Amino acid sequence: MFGTLVRNLVRDLVRQPMRTLLTLSGVVWGTFSVVLLITFGDSVSKAQMKQFHGMGQGIVLVFPSQTTLPWQGFVKGKPVRVTPEMVEAIPDKVPGLDLISPEFIGSRLISYGRQQFRNTVRGINPPFELMRNTIAAEGRFINPQDMESRKRVCMIGDVLASDLFGSDKPVGRTILIDNVPFLVVGVMRPKKQNSNYNGQRDERCAFIPWTTFGSLYGTKYVSNFIFRPQDPNQTKAVTEGVKRHLAKLIGFDPADPDALAVWDTMEFEKQISVFFLAFTLFLGLIGSFTLLVGGVGVASIMRVVVDERTREIGVKLAVGARRRTILWQFFGESIMIMLFGGAIGFGLSAAVIRAVHALPQKGFTEFIGSPTLNPLVIAATVLILLTIGVIAGMIPAKSAASTDPIEALKK
Amino acid sequence: MIELQGITKIYKMGSQTLEALRGVSLKIGKGEFISIMGPSGSGKSTLMNIVGCLDTPTGGRYFLDGKNVAGLTFDQLAAVRNRKIGFVFQNFNLLPYSTAWENIELPMLFDGKNHRKRKERVTELLQAVGLYDWREHRPSELSGGQQQRIALARSLANDPPILLADEPTGNLDSKSGQEIMDILMRLWKEGRTIVMVTHNDEIAAKSQRVIRLFDGQVVPERTA
Ligand SMILES: Nc1ncnc2c1ncn2[C@@H]1O[C@H](COP(=O)(O)OP(=O)(O)OP(=O)(O)O)[C@@H](O)[C@H]1O
Ligand SMILES: [Mg+2]
Repeated sequence: MFGTLVRNLVRDLVRQPMRTLLTLSGVVWGTFSVVLLITFGDSVSKAQMKQFHGMGQGIVLVFPSQTTLPWQGFVKGKPVRVTPEMVEAIPDKVPGLDLISPEFIGSRLISYGRQQFRNTVRGINPPFELMRNTIAAEGRFINPQDMESRKRVCMIGDVLASDLFGSDKPVGRTILIDNVPFLVVGVMRPKKQNSNYNGQRDERCAFIPWTTFGSLYGTKYVSNFIFRPQDPNQTKAVTEGVKRHLAKLIGFDPADPDALAVWDTMEFEKQISVFFLAFTLFLGLIGSFTLLVGGVGVASIMRVVVDERTREIGVKLAVGARRRTILWQFFGESIMIMLFGGAIGFGLSAAVIRAVHALPQKGFTEFIGSPTLNPLVIAATVLILLTIGVIAGMIPAKSAASTDPIEALKK
Repeated sequence: MIELQGITKIYKMGSQTLEALRGVSLKIGKGEFISIMGPSGSGKSTLMNIVGCLDTPTGGRYFLDGKNVAGLTFDQLAAVRNRKIGFVFQNFNLLPYSTAWENIELPMLFDGKNHRKRKERVTELLQAVGLYDWREHRPSELSGGQQQRIALARSLANDPPILLADEPTGNLDSKSGQEIMDILMRLWKEGRTIVMVTHNDEIAAKSQRVIRLFDGQVVPERTA
């Protein structure tokens, strides 16, 4: 029974090859759109998240600002000044901190031989490396001895390194920062990063001990500091602790919302991941509409088919076909077209995705990331395909099954 | 076996109504061979369609084997058409894209018979109507007489006790018509109940009894 059914289905479809092909192409194109849009949406999201992670995961950035509430006789608008010593002392007073680093930031003239650039110089301490993912690929990062002796050493970003040295090895050479010689002790490992604050991306920065930065340039107050809580789930509580501690130390209202500007990357990550999920769903929706158009094509062609075969339906009903049997016949044809078209669409998308992988990861392709046909995408597409297929197949099949045999035989 | 009580069929066409059957009552016993005659438009096909469970009457009652057909659902009627009643049409009503074999097989597919049973029965029927060698041909490659023999074979697929034929020889030349009549006679002698519509007195004469319709009513039998 089932074998005969499939055989008849295939024969029906082959009888009008041009029409079957056209109907099929709508479904192929629709599936292609759904798969590619969802896959690329997913991959762009992942690539963006990865670049965001490049700045550091689970860290909190604090930017001292101005008071916006009066406090103990002071009017509002008092600048909040934080010294690096205060920052490094925070873990003694506030529990739950893992790493912390103050940060001085300045724009300085950096030169080596004839090469000269105005780039960002960051005065930091050793824990900065882990928090901000500024790992040394060659040599090392700033270490405690450098801090202690205010050494004139630096680690430089990978792009700055190649700008200054071309293909030469930078470690062990001396560069000038505002005409002061600095020994290059390390070159940063290249990383994907698009989030940033105060200055250039890390790839173009020079990192020096904040102790050196402070004594050399006379800077007293940090432009910001960074910390990482031991338990990521306690970020909010730890941040509150830091705020309260500094409020007491410096003298501002702990309830002042703006005295310290806080950027909690965990919180931010949650928000952008919601955004990217919405973005991917939106693309999926657009793809689904394309597939819906393909489904409408199937439904309307099947209507024509049902119309043309009214007599055949009449004959079948006359010799004892049940309504369900007729329903399945036409429904089966629609579903076959949908599934076959879907399979081709999947194949084409897989080919395109493969082609994208073959491209070098640069510029646009870096933005796209590496799209993969993950099981979730496949499941989502199959679900969309089936939903549309069932609806597109059911409408004409129902009308076929409700044919009146006497009327049909008169045609 | 077949009992009709005051069957009416009214067609509504806009504001006009047309009474195709105006209270037809009749009884047909098991194993009878009945001819239905009457002028064109007298309601013969309408009556056959109702008896064949293809159509439902507007009024009256129809008992098939003592069961009221009015209470059956569409799919239950389909089952009756499939197993109890074989129907032969004037214009054959074969599936044009299917072979002779597949056409005969059709009612058995709807009955869910397995492949082996279908094969046996189709072979048997093709041999009975003398068209085994034509089994792979489509209707368009067969003569009218051959097509009607295939249609007849199809109507017998599930071995129904009742065979209804609406002008089975109407579209055929006399030689082909004769072949069909020979098969019908043989089937009757094997014990089947046969009801046949015809315009031909000679053909009607072969049946046991003639029911005459006129303007949607049965003409009382004149005892000859
Ligand atoms: N679907 C329909 N709608 C309206 N009127 C119909 C319909 N079917 C049949 N009729 C009418 O019912 C009447 C009986 O038709 P029917 O086909 O039963 O006649 P018949 O005796 O079989 O005629 P013929 O010998 O020409 O086949 C006719 O007047 C016909 O026009
Ligand atoms: Mg008729």
